[in-house]
Amino acid sequence: MGLKKFIKSVKSTLGLKDFNQEGKKKSLKELLKKLNKRKKSITASLKATEDKKEKKELTEELDIVTLQIKKGKKILYKLYAKK
Amino acid sequence: MLIHNLYKSFFAPIIILLLLGSLFLLGLYPDISTILGGIALFLIGMEYMESGFKAFSGGLLEKVLGEFTSSTPKAIGTGFFTTAIVQSSSLISIILISFLSAELISLTSAVGVVFGSNIGTTTTAWLISAFGLKIKISVYAMPMLIIGIFIPMLLKESNWRGIASVLIGLGIIFLGIGYMKEGFETLKEGIDLAQYAMAGYAGIFVYVLVGAVATVVIQSSSATMAIIITALATGQIDYANALALTIGANLGTTVTAALASLKSNENGKRLAVAHFIFNSVTGIIAILFIYQLADLVDYLAAFIGIGSEDYTLKLALFHTIFNVIGVLAVSPFITILVRFLNTLFIPKGSNKGKPKYLDDAVLPLPSTALSAIIMETKHLYENAFDIITHGLNLKKNNILSSMDLDDVVKDLYSSGPIDIDNFYNYWIKGLYGDIIDFSTKAQVNMPPEYIEELYKLKLANRDIVEAIKGTKHLQKNLLKYDSSRNEYIKEQYDDIRKGLAELLRSINTIATTDEEDVIMLLLSKAKIHAERYDIITNGTLDRLIRKGLITNKMATSLMNDSDYAYRISKNLIAMAEVLFINMGSDLKKLHEDIGISDEEVEVIAHKKDHL
Repeated sequence: MGLKKFIKSVKSTLGLKDFNQEGKKKSLKELLKKLNKRKKSITASLKATEDKKEKKELTEELDIVTLQIKKGKKILYKLYAKK
Repeated sequence: MLIHNLYKSFFAPIIILLLLGSLFLLGLYPDISTILGGIALFLIGMEYMESGFKAFSGGLLEKVLGEFTSSTPKAIGTGFFTTAIVQSSSLISIILISFLSAELISLTSAVGVVFGSNIGTTTTAWLISAFGLKIKISVYAMPMLIIGIFIPMLLKESNWRGIASVLIGLGIIFLGIGYMKEGFETLKEGIDLAQYAMAGYAGIFVYVLVGAVATVVIQSSSATMAIIITALATGQIDYANALALTIGANLGTTVTAALASLKSNENGKRLAVAHFIFNSVTGIIAILFIYQLADLVDYLAAFIGIGSEDYTLKLALFHTIFNVIGVLAVSPFITILVRFLNTLFIPKGSNKGKPKYLDDAVLPLPSTALSAIIMETKHLYENAFDIITHGLNLKKNNILSSMDLDDVVKDLYSSGPIDIDNFYNYWIKGLYGDIIDFSTKAQVNMPPEYIEELYKLKLANRDIVEAIKGTKHLQKNLLKYDSSRNEYIKEQYDDIRKGLAELLRSINTIATTDEEDVIMLLLSKAKIHAERYDIITNGTLDRLIRKGLITNKMATSLMNDSDYAYRISKNLIAMAEVLFINMGSDLKKLHEDIGISDEEVEVIAHKKDHL
């Protein structure tokens, strides 16, 4: 058995094959949790404020966070699909 | 560049001298020639092992030293284990100095590691006594050399090459010990060095001096210990004198470190002084209580099963015991020691434009070299932050506070322009050049994934410099129109200043927070806000001209300066993405995946303009 093949079989035996992907999944989930929390707080602030300038800023932040959540979810689905 | 540079510069001549001496004495005194050859082989083996560990351990050793040194006991433990494993206190010292320079470790922790390292280095004596002399060493040396030579032919990765170097080093060390032992054995048949044995304190002082001088000359306390142990094993020196020689070797190694620290920065010098004080105190205690310590060794040796006639193992035990006692004696005063060290070697004058973290000693250590470059680039940015802030006629403290941005732009830094060229020459130009020069040298020892990061860091450096140059171009009109009677052009230039102040504030938050979502949000916002400078697309310029609110000359200036502001923003955002998101962190990968694209920036910016 070649060295590369040996390392590969050890990795799969120990379940280390998807180690990087698992790590990425975990980090992504954590980040999505934070982003969702932030989205909720921005939405609440947006409802509460009457100031036009502040509203503009909050809307912009909401757009960014919403986009990031959407992209994050898409990557997470892909990671699960791979599994 | 503590031990490393001196070691490097003297190492080759010492080996050549030993080999020449060995050849010269071959005919007259073949046994002395064999001993000298053995010492030369031992030193070559040590060098192989050190370079092997550097390549093999990669960033691991550096990570361990960085993470497990939060308290003095932990630091001492880490110093002991790392030195015992790599068998090189000089390698540990090099990493420590680089960590001190990069402020990755406190001086207290570094001193703790040095203490532990002193105990760790005593394992060499144990290994030589327990294995080097008790077994037919050449039996193990040859297979190690053969395996070490064949590994790089089959496996090309740097880790394997490192392991190969360690094996070759061990093999050569074993051969060296074998030759030294053989040399001393045959020498005994001709000359009996034991006849020069001296009793009492006179003998102790003479042999301490001999041990210290020998270590200073051959630049390695491990090699001195190997000579002492092999000479003791063959009966060429007596046990009492061997104890004194061991104390001398411990003292001699600090002289080497002190000499080498002359070339190092203030942190290296402070650490060398700490090393010197520790070893001197330990040496004095060992000399004063040498007979009591010898009794303690006898007692403990019997307790752990070392034979009463096994002097080499007893010597190893003595070496460990007096270093442990030294640590116990000095550790309670570590805070006082560090306080004293901090009063030494305080740099004179301003060092703002001088590199703080770049040290050639870390060049062979890719991970530490990269950390040093990151820290120095941050230093460059700090300088750039001051220049850009003052160039925009803003106060640094206001930007770093939570003051409303409208008020930040109203509170001017000075009534006249600052000389950006002057500041650039003093604070940036030399430092930038040093970073690029250091990066080029560091690149030689780096694996591909590090080179990729290094390339990004070089770009970040360039971005910082470009941002300053952009500020210089902006400055003239910024000052001119900021005091203009035309409120419309003044408003536009204030908006540029406000935008850049906001960006500088955001970068400061990014640099200081650990919250990933905050970093990602601020970077995305910064990209969107940079679009405000596209005054042609967003219709600002058209509106101002059409309504006759500004002159054509003003319009041209505004168009050009908006472009400069846009470029400064782009430069600073790109720099922040590289510099303030930890390399290899999950956030870096995630930011690349879910950060907003240029098209998305445009969409959100456009939507914002029409709200």
